[in-house]
Amino acid sequence: MASRTAHSVPHRVADPLGGLYPPLEPYHLGRLGVDAQHDLYFEQSGNPNGKPVVFLHGGPGGGTDPKHRRFFDPEHYRIILFDQRGCGQSEPFASLVDNTTWDLVDDIERLRNHLGIDRWQVFGGSWGSTLGVAYAEAHPTRVTELVLRGIFMFTDREAEWFYGRGTRMLFPDAWEAFVGVIPEAERVDLIAAYYRRLTSDDPQVRAEAARAWSIWETRVASLVADEASLAHCDDLDFTMAFARIECHYFLHHGFLAHERQLLDEAGKIEHIPTTIVHGRYDVICPLENAWALHKRLPRSELVIVPDGGHSAFEPGVAAALRAATDRYR
Amino acid sequence: MDALRRALYPEIEPYSTGTLQVSSLHRIYYEESGNPRGKPVVFLHGGPGGGTDPKQRRFFDPEAYRIVLFDQRGCGRSTPHAELRENTTWDLVADIERLRAHLQVERWQVFGGSWGSTLALAYAQTHPKRVTELVLRGIFLLRRAELLWFYQDGASALFPDAWEHFLAPIPAAERGDLMRAYYRRLTSDDDDVRREAARAWSVWEAATSFLLQRQDHIAHAATDDFSLAFARIEAHYFVHHGFLEREQQLLENVGRLRQIPAVIVQGRYDVVCPMHSAWQLHRAWPEADLQIVPDAGHSAFEPGTMAALIAATDRFADR
Repeated sequence: MASRTAHSVPHRVADPLGGLYPPLEPYHLGRLGVDAQHDLYFEQSGNPNGKPVVFLHGGPGGGTDPKHRRFFDPEHYRIILFDQRGCGQSEPFASLVDNTTWDLVDDIERLRNHLGIDRWQVFGGSWGSTLGVAYAEAHPTRVTELVLRGIFMFTDREAEWFYGRGTRMLFPDAWEAFVGVIPEAERVDLIAAYYRRLTSDDPQVRAEAARAWSIWETRVASLVADEASLAHCDDLDFTMAFARIECHYFLHHGFLAHERQLLDEAGKIEHIPTTIVHGRYDVICPLENAWALHKRLPRSELVIVPDGGHSAFEPGVAAALRAATDRYR
Repeated sequence: MDALRRALYPEIEPYSTGTLQVSSLHRIYYEESGNPRGKPVVFLHGGPGGGTDPKQRRFFDPEAYRIVLFDQRGCGRSTPHAELRENTTWDLVADIERLRAHLQVERWQVFGGSWGSTLALAYAQTHPKRVTELVLRGIFLLRRAELLWFYQDGASALFPDAWEHFLAPIPAAERGDLMRAYYRRLTSDDDDVRREAARAWSVWEAATSFLLQRQDHIAHAATDDFSLAFARIEAHYFVHHGFLEREQQLLENVGRLRQIPAVIVQGRYDVVCPMHSAWQLHRAWPEADLQIVPDAGHSAFEPGTMAALIAATDRFADR
């Protein structure tokens, strides 16, 4: 079982994304109707004849960003990004109807067929790692490699860590703001309390809850909080989808058949070359999540980034992810 | 960023060292450095059982301060080594008073981190008139929830690799109460059992104390000289709930400290004593100046933490 600690990267890097590939524009934009209601945005960048890779974004509800293209060598990869149901440029925006883990797994297959791809690499962090593992376990023959970051397997223990007993111990100040939105009497079940507000008929109530929900996650996502990154928490086009969809999935325990489903079925993907990258100070998805998955996938490689938090864009984490896709190209 | 941060004062030798018989059993080592006519400050080390280190003299301006360090009962150069009898929080509080009287100090600044913050709060709440200022780091209020975070389920989530080594000496059947399981081994009649448990206990804390793990620190923690006193005394205090009368005692008695100028320095990524406790102390005691170091763990010797601690002692030097 390969587990290693990456070298720490000096923090004085001028552009933290300097370790990634240069910005690039897609050569193809498209939309795919996946059911009577949902219409997904997707895009292709890099080399049209290259090795295909699909990028699974986080949240759920986070949407893709042009930066996500830059984890892959554009000369070698055919890079496919898409916005999952209800977020980014997919429509209807922030919709919770027919929006489950298994709908998204089916969407990935629809997109693969639509693009005429036989097998592809699957790359995902945070919720993207959940969806990546769920997809690979459902369709193992379609996956050439897995590159996973900030592992989240949607067990109850993991949900309780972030919305209850864990993260708050290190970020009591941010937690105070997160629970402050909810009256004391409702705090016994914060997810339910937030869900009521995020699905309220009152747009003001929805917006306030979406902002607080998003700030909590953003403030704890990087090793050293980047106040500038909080700006997107004032953008309703981001927060409404992010908070509503994330909360919807948490309320339904990720729509798993049982809470340990993804870990218990890991045997189905044991043969797939897999790299797991995890920041030591990921306080959203603690390292023990990666440790548990790594034990279930004895042939996987686990890279622990000593000065990394949850974000994919911290220098050490970004470098380890790029090294993985370079190795698999 | 580090280049701009205040470094420690230069290495310094004590101008006086001594021992003080504090009970029929215990004799404690103490030392004085800096300016004999300076402002007195007493340094309270961590653990309990950690002992003092020459580097700890260097948090204080030697021209301004009369710097007093001492090894608490049973550790460092105090004797008998690793002794658990007559070794409680209140014995140590009484020792601080004995030492103060012995050195003919009327009032002094109290500086302590981790368990040193616990002891400083206990001492200041018992003898508030003897304390000019408090400089506290890595707040530890010795409540059950804090102990369970570090020794049962909490820090383990972020350090599953080091945690495996901590679990290793304990059979699965005993892992429901790891502190007790360790205490049994640390007080075993079998020398090898004691040593193995002491090493694993101490290495767990050393592996989780710095933002970026330091192998030299871990290696030092694994030595018998250090680990036996450290692990035995820590476990002894922790299974006895720090000998506090009430779980929330140190928080409840904060009212006694309001007149004492205080600085609290807390590393954001302190996983040994998570910031939750510093935050509760801050809410109960808003007069104290809470400084959060964004890129630091538990240790006093993290660059940002050192800088904040020295800024605090410098600020209080002229008072």
